Amino acid sequence: MKHRYLACFLAPSVLLAIATTPALAQDTSPAAQIEAFSLEAGRAADAEAGKAFFLASHSGGKPDTPSCTTCHTMDPTKGGQARTGKPIEPMASSVNPARFTDSAKITKWFRRNCNSVLGRECTAGEKADVLAWLNSL
Amino acid sequence: MAKSSEPSTTVWDRFLRLAHWVLAVSVTIALVTGFFGGLPRLWLHLIVGVAALVTLILRLIWGFTGPSSARFISFWPTPRGVLAHLKSEDGRHLGHNPLGALMVFTFLGTIAALAVSGALSLGGVYKIGPFAADGFALGDLAGEAHELLAIAMVALIAAHLGGVIFESLRHRENLARSMVTGNKPSRAGDITPLVRRANIVLTVILALLVLAGGSAGLVGLAKRPIAGMPVATAPLVAEECGACHMAYPASLLPAASWQHLVAGLDDHFGEDASLDADTTAKISQWLSAHAAENADTLPAHAFVTPAPSAVGQITATPGWQALHKDIAPETFKRAPIYTRANCLACHKDAEGGRFSPLALSIPALPTSSPN
Ligand code: HEC
Ligand code: HEC
Ligand code: HEC
Repeated sequence: MKHRYLACFLAPSVLLAIATTPALAQDTSPAAQIEAFSLEAGRAADAEAGKAFFLASHSGGKPDTPSCTTCHTMDPTKGGQARTGKPIEPMASSVNPARFTDSAKITKWFRRNCNSVLGRECTAGEKADVLAWLNSL
Repeated sequence: MAKSSEPSTTVWDRFLRLAHWVLAVSVTIALVTGFFGGLPRLWLHLIVGVAALVTLILRLIWGFTGPSSARFISFWPTPRGVLAHLKSEDGRHLGHNPLGALMVFTFLGTIAALAVSGALSLGGVYKIGPFAADGFALGDLAGEAHELLAIAMVALIAAHLGGVIFESLRHRENLARSMVTGNKPSRAGDITPLVRRANIVLTVILALLVLAGGSAGLVGLAKRPIAGMPVATAPLVAEECGACHMAYPASLLPAASWQHLVAGLDDHFGEDASLDADTTAKISQWLSAHAAENADTLPAHAFVTPAPSAVGQITATPGWQALHKDIAPETFKRAPIYTRANCLACHKDAEGGRFSPLALSIPALPTSSPN
């Protein structure tokens, strides 16, 4: 029974904390994001290199996710699918204007997905290239 | 069998015959769906169960207001009567013989007990209906009783059919047909039921009163607040833990499992699902506070014990495995299911954490294309 009382104390404080978390903001645009990554990489973004990177099979990551296309499919203008069957919206910003408009979201998913696929973080150059390609379709 | 030249007399009135056959059909369907239908057929089980209960109530009223052989008073079994019948010391009964009468009352009592135990278990276990507020423990116990009563019911039906055949042979008549036509051959020396007239007006009044009062009472019971229901997933958790799969309700795993799982998000079932430390802590805390220990639903009770080898996995718990043991492994792989972890594909209310059997259906195989 003890845990029930504990929950009564914990629940409201946690709920409060969660309610006051700021909603995810639309704080950036694909162009601004590509520029920021290019600046960090010290070179211009290369959409063709981004395409090759996105479509390639990589090693070094987790065995179930050899490529970005495992979940995002070969055609980024189409919807993809997570390994759990859950649909993923298209990645191309031309068909999905909500793409790459939230810097925290971009940072989070590059960290996760690059680690899953490559076993490491992506470089700023790789990120600039991928976004440039996804923004050019 | 009965000779057509014999004079015949009406023994079973229309309503009694209708009630008999409605009970026969509804109880049979309830037994078949209960034993073999699985939870996806529960809706049918409930419909025939309610039909049997309503028929039972009307038959009970008719036992006090109906005509001669329908009245309980005309066939109330006494030990002496039963004994005499067993020793074949009595003659042919036009109405129920003492042993048959015992059968009738046992049937009616068992159906009533099945209805009560079924409703209690539906309420306590699945949080559906008038007894939804009465707790899992009571519901679980009632479920056990319901199953034992159902087995007893099968035995009773076998005994009843045996009795009908035996008595039919003994008196060279077709008792089953009499229950259809209502007529029996009338013979010298027959023991006849008391003569009573049906009181239709009283029957209708009583039926309306009992059914309306009963329904109102049940609706009142159903409106009571239910303790231990799953809470809606907090927006932060729904957002972060619903990105790659449905956001699993916190009530599906115990607090220790959630803490273990959230601590290992960087290697989460073969993917990196990591989050910043602050968000991770908030999610871990929220999931723990609303974990299975704090809910009273069936999934909370079934999955509260994790598999030692896969602490953070719902589908690895012995409870989950037992509930899904009859589903072929290939079924989980096919579109649009893809994985066992995709609860939502079969349980439409999965995100709310209720997992009502009435919201359950395995998606049909896609119709095969010619190529
Ligand atoms: C295991 C499945 C999976 C793999 C593999 C994967 N992703 Fe993702 N990715 C997702 C999911 C799920 C999301 C979040 C859902 C959404 O935004 O629709 C996402 C989101 C993203 C986002 C954020 C999009 C936005 O709107 O801001 C980027 C960028 C991204 N992925 C890039 C990549 C790259 C590059 C790779 C290959 C290195 C990759 N992903 C591989 C599943 C995957
Ligand atoms: C990057 C994608 C991703 C994110 C984000 C994610 N998960 Fe998962 N999760 C997965 C995958 C992939 C599986 C394995 C599914 C399977 O077995 O088919 C999984 C499985 C699970 C399972 C086990 C399901 C089972 O089989 O019983 C639980 C529980 C779970 N996740 C909880 C969470 C929680 C809680 C969060 C938020 C902190 C979260 N997940 C965030 C990808 C993710
Ligand atoms: C392929 C479809 C399918 C998937 C996917 C699935 N289930 Fe089920 N589940 C069923 C069926 C069918 C039953 C009923 C089995 C029976 O008849 O006894 C059931 C029964 C249950 C029950 C008990 C009955 C009830 O309705 O409450 C629970 C709880 C449950 N599942 C939870 C889960 C959870 C949690 C997941 C995801 C981790 C899941 N299921 C995934 C098909 C599925």
